[in-house]
Amino acid sequence: MLLRLIKRELRRLTSRKIYIFMMLIVPLGCSFFLLNLMNEGLPLKVPVGMVDLDHSSLSRKVGRSLSASELIDISSDLEDFHSAMEKVRSGEIYGFFLIPRDFQKKAIGGSTPTLSFYSNMAIFVPGSLSYKGFKTIAVTTSGGIVKTTLVGAGADETTAGSLIQPMVIRTHPLNNPWTNYAIYLCQSFIPCLLALIVLLVTVFSICQEHKIGSSVEWLREAGGNMAMALLGKLLPQTLIFTAVGVALQSVMFGYLHFPLNNHPLHMILAMFLLVAACQGFAVFITEMLPNLRIALSVMSLTGILCFSIAGFSFPVEKMYGGVAIFSYLVPIRYYFLIYIDQALNGIPIYYSRFYYIALLIFMLLPALGLRRLKKQCINPVYVP
Amino acid sequence: MNWLKNLFRVWRRETHLVFTDIGVLLFFFALPLAYPIVYTLIYNPEIVKKIDTVVVDNSRSAESRELVRELGATQGVNIVGYAADMGEARRAMMEKKCYGVLEIPSDYGRRIGRGEQAVTSFYCDMSLLLRFRQYLFAMTDVQMNEVTRITSQRLADGGLLTSSIGGLPVDSQPNFLGDVTQGFASFVMPGIVVLILQQSMLLGITMISGTSRDRRRRNGGTDPLDYDAGPTATVLGKSLCYLMIYLPLSYYILEIVPYMFSLPHVGRFMDFMPMIFVMLLATSFLGQTLQIFVRERESSLLVIVFTSVVFLFLSGLTWPRYAFNKFWLMVSDLIPATFGMEGLIRINSNGASLADVSQYYWGLWALTGLYFVTALLLRYFVSRKPKSQTAEGTITV
Repeated sequence: MLLRLIKRELRRLTSRKIYIFMMLIVPLGCSFFLLNLMNEGLPLKVPVGMVDLDHSSLSRKVGRSLSASELIDISSDLEDFHSAMEKVRSGEIYGFFLIPRDFQKKAIGGSTPTLSFYSNMAIFVPGSLSYKGFKTIAVTTSGGIVKTTLVGAGADETTAGSLIQPMVIRTHPLNNPWTNYAIYLCQSFIPCLLALIVLLVTVFSICQEHKIGSSVEWLREAGGNMAMALLGKLLPQTLIFTAVGVALQSVMFGYLHFPLNNHPLHMILAMFLLVAACQGFAVFITEMLPNLRIALSVMSLTGILCFSIAGFSFPVEKMYGGVAIFSYLVPIRYYFLIYIDQALNGIPIYYSRFYYIALLIFMLLPALGLRRLKKQCINPVYVP
Repeated sequence: MNWLKNLFRVWRRETHLVFTDIGVLLFFFALPLAYPIVYTLIYNPEIVKKIDTVVVDNSRSAESRELVRELGATQGVNIVGYAADMGEARRAMMEKKCYGVLEIPSDYGRRIGRGEQAVTSFYCDMSLLLRFRQYLFAMTDVQMNEVTRITSQRLADGGLLTSSIGGLPVDSQPNFLGDVTQGFASFVMPGIVVLILQQSMLLGITMISGTSRDRRRRNGGTDPLDYDAGPTATVLGKSLCYLMIYLPLSYYILEIVPYMFSLPHVGRFMDFMPMIFVMLLATSFLGQTLQIFVRERESSLLVIVFTSVVFLFLSGLTWPRYAFNKFWLMVSDLIPATFGMEGLIRINSNGASLADVSQYYWGLWALTGLYFVTALLLRYFVSRKPKSQTAEGTITV
């Protein structure tokens, strides 16, 4: 009986272009897009400007160090502050470095001139990168002058070094020493996109039965057993989505060498559970809201909100309490936490046990409304 | 005159269709009204403050305690406690009781006392970029302060060189433009709202046309609610209806929402309204082009929703556009929200005038022209061959 149901479902899946489009082309195509777009890892070479009001040998030296930095790219030498601001406003540059008049004279004369730099934080990543690049140059310039003065005054190189930097804090970014930005975005957005598609397709494929009135026949095939009918319907989809998900994982972990510091099976299991959990979540919503459009709308709204509420960029524990709890109501949050523990940090699976269990619970959610769903299947109503 | 009458009738019919369809109303009104608020609420804490941090102090000296006090006083760090060794600290990190560990070596105090360079290590969990960024800022601050303090003390103690160096010879002054507080909502929201406007409009338009095709399928190839007019009048009439709904909404989104959450808002009405007007116009034509892919009422959701993610990345908000390769740059130029976002963020956060962002403004007009032609061709093709609609007939199951 299960085999017959699976065959029926496979026939349905292959008979409409939208399924093939949604289940294969969209996840694979979008992932290719994201991975290809960000294959640099970090958007280095931020276009910035430089305003040199001093035109001295020292200011030119600063300019040379600026152009040597890999973080920024001096795309324009600007006349004055106003023309620089104009370029920032028009979006041509993301920041600029300003060397004041009489910079060299003051620096050597000991009257502390100020190097100022401007970063446009309205676009976060290039803004931050340009800030980092500018700051490094400003600090090294300052250090270089001190060192020259000290050595000139008779101190030896090491003494001079320890005088300039008597203490250093070495920051060790664990498991992502390159501070690769693409790893963040791809490892969170690609699974979340897949989760969104699973939610939509699951709801669509079930409610479609109501819409065209084939649900009675579907239930009959399963001998009136709703759980069996659902299993037969969703199992082929689970397999396809898991295969797509694992393929994407293998591209990221295997081909692109994103950090995977534990056994790959931990992540494959997580992917399977994510797909199944999303299906469970979607079926549950369908049971509660048996209307194709409303259920789909709810799934789209949640699926899209997942990208923000799951805390991929802003930490959940710092969100407002009333908002943060919603984070734990979506399956993708647990997959993301498993990813951090198992793939990125590679800690023992013991610490992620609750996340796996949470995904299992999502999987079992549909059991709560089976009777409701059966009633709807016997009397399919389509409300536009 | 007849054409104008047709235009008016198409507009009236479309408005009627919109206001009698609860699904479309949801997209056209509920989405743009509620989403900006929901999103801002998620990100409204703006800055990640007081991240839990553990210290392993092997030095146990006055200097190391001073360092920990300094660190605890920064905006980003909250010292939750001391761990006996790195093993205990690592366990705390695995249990997510902390996201960073500062390890002070046993010779820290001694080295500073001797006038040598002391090195401490900070280990940072890299699960979220915002936490790392905040830690990095805190570490830089602390290091700068400590360095200045220790150096001036050493120089004073040494008695020599004080006259030649009073502090650092060159000062540096960072300035932040646009999002001056560096808050996360203040960065994300001005861009996201533009995408919300575009996507909700596309969803609504494609749902209307999907519904019309459902009706056509049921009525043997003709939609009884379709008003028969020329292609130009039809396309323009429909766009008129969508713009009528969306212009007030964009005022709410671009002017009122920033006030509600005190997001950056230095743009002027006369700069952002023309910008958003063209973007909406281009989007309305894009929607009328995309409707060819939507064959039934509900598939609009399937076809449009996932594009939000793609369009978000194409817009350059998360991954800047200068780092795109030529191909993706070209693709991103075809999306109205890309130019809309680039222009409106600069107007809203940087106080740019329309003249400053004229390249995006004219880019949007070009897209308007392009999608007007495609929508027109599509309409022409559809209205020329009404019988061909029966070919798509029933949905195969």
